[in-house]
Amino acid sequence: MFTWVVKLGRKFAVLGALALLGALLCATMIRFAPGYGVDERELDSRLSQESRDAIRSEYGTAETLPHYYRRYVSGLLRGDLGASVFLQRPVVQLIRERSPLTARTVGFGLLAAWIGSSILGLLAIRFPNAMLNYSAMALTGFLIALPAAVIALLFVFWRAPVFLGIALVTFPKLYRYQHNLLAQAHSQPFVFAARTRGVSENRILFRHVIPLVWAPVLALTGVSASMAFGAAIPLEALSDSPGMGQLAWQAALNRDLPLLTSITLCVTLLTVAVNFLADAIGQRKSS
Amino acid sequence: MIQRVFRGVSWSILAIVFAFALFAEGFTHYPYARQFRELPNAAPSTVHLLGTDDLGRDLFTRVVYGTRVSLLLAPAAALLATAIASILGGLAGLRGGRLESSILAFTDLLMSLPLFFLLIALRAFLPLDISPLLSVVATFVTLGLLGWPSSLRVVCAASRNLRQSEHMLLARATGYSNAQLLFRQVIPNLRPIFLAQFWISIPLFILTEATLSMLGLGVMEPLPSWGNLLRGCEDFGAMSANPWRLIPLLLLVITVICFQLILHSTEEPA
Amino acid sequence: MWPSLRPVILLLAANFAVSSHAQAPAELHFCLHGEPKTFNPLLVDDEASENIRYLTGGVLIRVNRQTQALEPGLAESWRVSPDGRQITFQLRKGIYFSDGSPFSSEDVAYTMRLLMDPQTHSATGDAFRSGSGTVVVKAPAPYVAVVAFPAPVAGMERLFDQVAILSAKSLKKEESVLGPYYVSEYKAGSYVLLRRNPNYWKHDAQGRQLPYIDTVRLDIQRNRDIEMMRFRRGELQLVNRVDAQQFDELKKENPAAARNAGTGLDGEELWFNQAATSTLPDFRKKWFQLTDFRRAVSLAINRNDLARVVFTGYATPAFGPVSPSNQFWFNSSLPAPKHDPQAALALLTRAGFRMENGTLKDSMGNGVEFTLITNSGNTAREKMATMIQQDLSEIGVSVKVVTLDFPSLIERITRTFDYDACLLGLVNTDLDPNGQMTVWLSSGENHQWNPNQKTPATAWEAEIDQLMREQASLSNDKLRKAKFDRVQEIVAAQQPFIYLVNKNALSAVSSQVIGAYPVALNPQAFWNIDTLRLDPGQHIVSKQ
Repeated sequence: MFTWVVKLGRKFAVLGALALLGALLCATMIRFAPGYGVDERELDSRLSQESRDAIRSEYGTAETLPHYYRRYVSGLLRGDLGASVFLQRPVVQLIRERSPLTARTVGFGLLAAWIGSSILGLLAIRFPNAMLNYSAMALTGFLIALPAAVIALLFVFWRAPVFLGIALVTFPKLYRYQHNLLAQAHSQPFVFAARTRGVSENRILFRHVIPLVWAPVLALTGVSASMAFGAAIPLEALSDSPGMGQLAWQAALNRDLPLLTSITLCVTLLTVAVNFLADAIGQRKSS
Repeated sequence: MIQRVFRGVSWSILAIVFAFALFAEGFTHYPYARQFRELPNAAPSTVHLLGTDDLGRDLFTRVVYGTRVSLLLAPAAALLATAIASILGGLAGLRGGRLESSILAFTDLLMSLPLFFLLIALRAFLPLDISPLLSVVATFVTLGLLGWPSSLRVVCAASRNLRQSEHMLLARATGYSNAQLLFRQVIPNLRPIFLAQFWISIPLFILTEATLSMLGLGVMEPLPSWGNLLRGCEDFGAMSANPWRLIPLLLLVITVICFQLILHSTEEPA
Repeated sequence: MWPSLRPVILLLAANFAVSSHAQAPAELHFCLHGEPKTFNPLLVDDEASENIRYLTGGVLIRVNRQTQALEPGLAESWRVSPDGRQITFQLRKGIYFSDGSPFSSEDVAYTMRLLMDPQTHSATGDAFRSGSGTVVVKAPAPYVAVVAFPAPVAGMERLFDQVAILSAKSLKKEESVLGPYYVSEYKAGSYVLLRRNPNYWKHDAQGRQLPYIDTVRLDIQRNRDIEMMRFRRGELQLVNRVDAQQFDELKKENPAAARNAGTGLDGEELWFNQAATSTLPDFRKKWFQLTDFRRAVSLAINRNDLARVVFTGYATPAFGPVSPSNQFWFNSSLPAPKHDPQAALALLTRAGFRMENGTLKDSMGNGVEFTLITNSGNTAREKMATMIQQDLSEIGVSVKVVTLDFPSLIERITRTFDYDACLLGLVNTDLDPNGQMTVWLSSGENHQWNPNQKTPATAWEAEIDQLMREQASLSNDKLRKAKFDRVQEIVAAQQPFIYLVNKNALSAVSSQVIGAYPVALNPQAFWNIDTLRLDPGQHIVSKQ
């Protein structure tokens, strides 16, 4: 029991360390990317020299990177993630305001995508009708081919909820992966053997094929979560939906160091956590 | 039977599209940059087969040359991404343990970084006076170098499955080294998965380039690509007035569907 | 069963009808094109915040957006001293802030002190800074305020149009306002809801208190296509600053809604990097520093095509920094811009360039080519750059167009000077060119082609320096205009900025709005918001 707790504790520590590393890497990238520390207010011809100096000092370009790391980590421990430069508001407040919307959108979108792809995938394997298969391929191909921008605009036009957009973007890729794995498992020799023994197709599917592909399919959850959030960014930004995606987009365009770093922290934490969970369950199942 | 029909049709369509891309000069009359300023947004006619865009450039020419950019570079990027994912993922699944956890952690990290920001930053880093073609190549190379994380986990899981199979145990017992195991056993056995990833990545990279172009960060003017040809799709009013502008989108969708159908037919057991 | 349901159904229907009619409040619904960065009127420096300030702030002197003349606001009269250093305001009596606190000269003094405090770093305040020294504000009587500057401030009165008076006594500083509306709700990233100020001082001719419209909902919408879609659906009643292409389409569908206020104040311009400290190769620097080269480029660019193709005719070729719609400051004696590639080639030949196989080469044999940068995401600018690329190829000059994201662009033009030529637009809120001192002075930060010079690099820049300093110290506007006219002549001859077009002020106004009269000055479509009415007969669809 105790060793199990220690193991878990160590895993959590690794998770936290990874998330922090992600955040700090992101901060380094932004800090050294061209265009950091420049504000479009500098083009305002009314500003005096003092005002311009004050604007430049807001960005802290004089601060060294190790100093910034130290400040960020100590702030993090206190629960203070700094203030967004372009929105002039505390980052924690911004994240708190916007994450529910994105969580709902991405959550429902992912759920819809998983349900859709799983059902369609199982159906395609269970009833291997060529026409059905090729239609499914054509549909997924069509959906993969639409750029996120076009989907976003169509959704605004039809006043459809954004989560469907995320579902539409994630579903075809999930379906493809799942279909690949299921098809591979279904073509294994033991399935053929079971069929000749007279085992029903349903039983083959649920008792033999699915248990085989459990683990790799679960491995997709983390990937699908990242894909969904990645899709949320342009979808939200283009349909002006005030979630985390739009925040990340604006932060990237504006080189907003505190905001983008904290967003990366959250995203890394989520991705790593979801993957870790998926791996743990997968390993438990296989052992 | 249907399978063969679909496969045949898909290959033919792709072949035609590729032919257009490779032999662009033979099909087009005008340079793709030439602006016919008296005829902006013209409807299709005998002079301009697909009409003109809003600067008066012949749309048919731009679609053909744009195909060259998107269709020849995206597979290159996909190849790069798949290669990286295959090697790293194969190795991770093969060895397991610490190496696997580290590679997976590194992958997660890379996936969480704001890719979009990286692309903007790269664009700003490039020297200003490189040719449009070089900037496009640089964009696609970056996409290839950054686009492998999503493929890696699938490869890793499959490789992990393989590790526990019988003939791997046999190979290991025979004394194969890791490198030999990787290149002689893992990679050949996982070829269908690599192929699947490759085919999936191609439209993905075309689309990323398209989204980038829609933000104005894609290919440099006046070089056309499917991405910047799709930019017109943002404006619904213009679309309904000039519906032929949707042709690049149609072309993209058809090409991607063809890729999907071919891939599907190669996987289906005969 | 059935008959007994009928009265219920009728009752429900009647109820619904009544409530839906009563539910149609007088709410004006339009969009801001970005997130307002601040609600503090003193710190405003972006379009969205400025719009909010216009709608909520009360000012002493108002520039009438239609006539471009000054009119009394919170000050019923004012007097500027002969030396231009002091202004005395006679304030209106009996005015209260939206929270009920009385308005007096104390509030003016408080606002001006805060504005001019160096720690505030206000752009509006900086516009008043004409010389070193402190600004002294006195409130000798409850309705008299005196502001004394250390040096004369040119165009002083107009600057007060941007100073929204804050309440000295009120605790909720940003919520007690003197303008027609106050900020009632704000959801970051979504919308700002404004409600009418119950204590607004303005009344109409019949004595009825303004504004007529009770609430204003401002959605935060960056995407112009979506905004137009919502306007067409009836969700929005107004679109401010419509793009030329969208305007063209709207005009075909709904001509009554498409309002063209004529040439606006905004222009697009191109300039070459002439900074001596830039990292460009010497031969290229030499080209850009040659007046004949710049004039040749200017002659080679077809401005009519730019206006016709990129802006679908809703723009006019420009040749100077001041738009013709700036009635007072426009120099009408400036020559009209010409498109003449032959003359351009003649100028270049005179300067030592020659054509070789369709490529222009300089005297040392270098092919003339340069990169033109502009900001990404602005399709009009990208199209203009592409058209300029073709225009210049006709005189053998090869241009590469690079779009960069805005921060990288600004870094190149203000810090690293690692660029050849830049294409950007001007957004002029202020009619008076005195606000552009840092653009015209050679030592200025915004002297884009060669900023922060220790001494003027050329004789003509030295002449501009002198003229600008002279006009800043004069209080007579006619004399100032004469000086600035001369500046415009020099700029037209030397072409440090190659002005391209002045864009039209385009708005979309739905038929539900009565009394709208879009103009060229910002805010174009809703400058007279306090006298706008909504047609009560039409059912208003408001999106939650």
